[in-house]
Amino acid sequence: MSDGVVKILDGNTFVVSDPRGDIEASLTDPTGLFSFDTRFLSAWVLTVNGERLNSLSVDDLQYFEAQFFLVPGTGTVYVDAKLSVIRQRAVGDGFHEELTILNHAEEPIELTVRVDADSDFADLFEVKDALKKKGTYTTRIDEDGLHLVYQRETFARMTTISASAPAAIDEKGLTFVVTIEPHGSWTTDLDVVTAVGAGGRMVRPKYRRGEQRARPNMGRSLENWLQEAPRLESDDDRLRATYRRSLVDLAALRFSPLVAGGRSLPAAGLPWFMTMFGRDSILTSLQALPFTPELAGTTLQALGDWQGSRIDDFRDEDPGRILHEMRYGEMTAFEERPHSPYYGCADATPLYVVLLDEYERWTGDRTLVRQREHEARAALAWIHDYADLLGNGYIWYRRRNEQTGLENQCWKDSWDSISYRDGRIPGFPRATCELQGYAYDAKIRGARLARSIWNDPAFADRLEEEAADLKRRFNRDFWVADGGYFALALDPEGHQVDSLASNNGHLLWSGIVDKSKAKAVVDNLLGPRLFSGWGVRTLAEGEGRYNPIGYHVGTVWPFDNSFIAWGLRRYGFKDEAATIAEGILDASGFFDGRLPEAFGGYERSLTKYPVQYPTACSPQAWSTGAPLLLLRTMLGLEPIGDHLVVDPALPTSIGRLELLDIPGRWGRMDAFGRGRVDVGRRSSRSRRKTRSRSRTHSS
Amino acid sequence: MRVEASVSEPIEEFFERLSAGGPGTLPPRMRGSLRIDLRFGATTERWFLTIGKDAVSVSHRNAKADAVIGTSKDMFEGMVTGRENAMAGALRGVVSLEGDPTLLVLFQRVLPGPPAPAKRRSTTKGRRS
Repeated sequence: MSDGVVKILDGNTFVVSDPRGDIEASLTDPTGLFSFDTRFLSAWVLTVNGERLNSLSVDDLQYFEAQFFLVPGTGTVYVDAKLSVIRQRAVGDGFHEELTILNHAEEPIELTVRVDADSDFADLFEVKDALKKKGTYTTRIDEDGLHLVYQRETFARMTTISASAPAAIDEKGLTFVVTIEPHGSWTTDLDVVTAVGAGGRMVRPKYRRGEQRARPNMGRSLENWLQEAPRLESDDDRLRATYRRSLVDLAALRFSPLVAGGRSLPAAGLPWFMTMFGRDSILTSLQALPFTPELAGTTLQALGDWQGSRIDDFRDEDPGRILHEMRYGEMTAFEERPHSPYYGCADATPLYVVLLDEYERWTGDRTLVRQREHEARAALAWIHDYADLLGNGYIWYRRRNEQTGLENQCWKDSWDSISYRDGRIPGFPRATCELQGYAYDAKIRGARLARSIWNDPAFADRLEEEAADLKRRFNRDFWVADGGYFALALDPEGHQVDSLASNNGHLLWSGIVDKSKAKAVVDNLLGPRLFSGWGVRTLAEGEGRYNPIGYHVGTVWPFDNSFIAWGLRRYGFKDEAATIAEGILDASGFFDGRLPEAFGGYERSLTKYPVQYPTACSPQAWSTGAPLLLLRTMLGLEPIGDHLVVDPALPTSIGRLELLDIPGRWGRMDAFGRGRVDVGRRSSRSRRKTRSRSRTHSS
Repeated sequence: MRVEASVSEPIEEFFERLSAGGPGTLPPRMRGSLRIDLRFGATTERWFLTIGKDAVSVSHRNAKADAVIGTSKDMFEGMVTGRENAMAGALRGVVSLEGDPTLLVLFQRVLPGPPAPAKRRSTTKGRRS
């Protein structure tokens, strides 16, 4: 692994260790065994005869298991290895480790094998912010092994460590005294099991039926997952590799909230954001719809079940609002953080309706749309009644939780992401432009569902009237006439926050842009101030706060670009969509097919390679989904009625592209395309009609 | 005497409101039975909800249910008056949850928000009911 740490996970249980398999965490060092946002092991150190081991190699076989090949010694060039040590570790609810020691010598050897273990039971938020603990620690030893216990009032968490081989257990770990025959081996199973206190009992979710081992959730086999997804055939090796990487990473990012009955939705990022997020789960589900539609179904169910129902300022909750983030740790339990769940985001609610409609268009699952009518109506009511803080028909946001709530409740959520051309930062509330686009799209799509499935044409009429009115006002109030683009936001006085930003691409995706203005917007998106050669920058070069390595003020986000490409297709700018797809897919080649959350906004000709922005999570869900959505936009896949329409516009560099067995209401269908768009000539602005062939057939 | 001492008006009112049709935030698809066991000293007070298509019936039956919530009477009074959050309570281990998780999540939707609410309410435009 590039960062010297090994991460394996299963659901929201994960282990981060060094390349020896050891864990030596401090309050600020993010290694350990984590489950439900709590660190259950902060120390896990293996020694043989008092000596630390040296890593020869690490195999992360699957995302939930890893194998460490070790030898004694301290890392001199020549390792005189009379011994080999193999740790094979698999994550379940806790982890299972098979420890094997091989004696390569002609003589028997006697060894003292020691595993030191400890836990600080830190909340993930404490690890991020280095905070002190308030509860007490105890240790207990019995026939089940070593129990590490943390207790704060009624809140209890426990880690139990046991071994299959005879061990001397003390409060700090396990010791094995072993003799290994010449060319023989010794092995023991080590089990680390996490438990959560409830009503004085300790509950180990998966161990109710006498199960002793922490084993991965076998029901979610990777092979099945890969087999169910469409097959991609292409002359382009890089594209095939990226596609496979995306599918595997998406499998790793699956998270099963309790309400989902074993089904999964996409969590936001591995490992720190392995939880349900409104925005990230919805946008990733949208990207993955043509490939793994069940993720969208689960997202709609789980987020719908947790929909806000009351006014709660601490959680920034309103009736109808879709949650931002759910957490399960100690600080959430004691309401030192609002994530039980936290609702402070302004886009997930309209996007919920967008996903519901897009899901039905692909899958034809009318049952789910009927079941979620209540939630969809409540979401539309939230847009109308609660989000409009100034009563002028726009979505505005301003946090009510001033201590631990989020200031920026749009996807660009860093403190300086929303600024005027001159770099000033507006006050609150703010109405960022893309939120209005999402609201427009939610109303249009809500109207379709009301008419075709909920049997409420009057509601549909009302939504369409509201949408038309919103579009008219938006194109007047947000349009920066001297720049030919839409302002990033309106400030509390109703003035334009007049920077040029990538949000314009999301506006194309939403359909809120007047046709007459689309060409100017596209010229800006692919113009030199926004387009770096790899993709569209979050903020245009020349703006006061532009910084090519500023988180939301100049970097290029693959996820952002995938939605921009979708928007370009929506308005008929096929070549431009192909240009963006090629840039982002080219970039993916530099990261072994795993696109980072963001990379630098430097001119492509300047750096020749994309400069990764350092982030804690990899893979990130919506970066993983970006190549999938780009495949959709390049092939021009669009469900129309019961048919899948294919209208490819591929860059020439891709050559042949076949996507086989695309699931949907049509059963399974294939899509073919051949590269025709000469991206290199795009800058001449000569938009040609693409001559891409398209054909579809049922398989 | 023990009976009088244990009567909690907010709890009684909460269940009356529920059986009268609820505050309207329960999704129509919610169906099933839910038992709420409230500890008070050495006694347990039971509330049994049957949630059907059009009505919620409330009794004190001690029967098997699709989901069971267990907590102290104090805590539950906090929950029905908005002083306590059910999910945070469950994470702390003061509220125990068993059975159908969807039913439990949907049930917490009828619990009110904190008292002394925000100054801001919905805008003047008509709120949907």
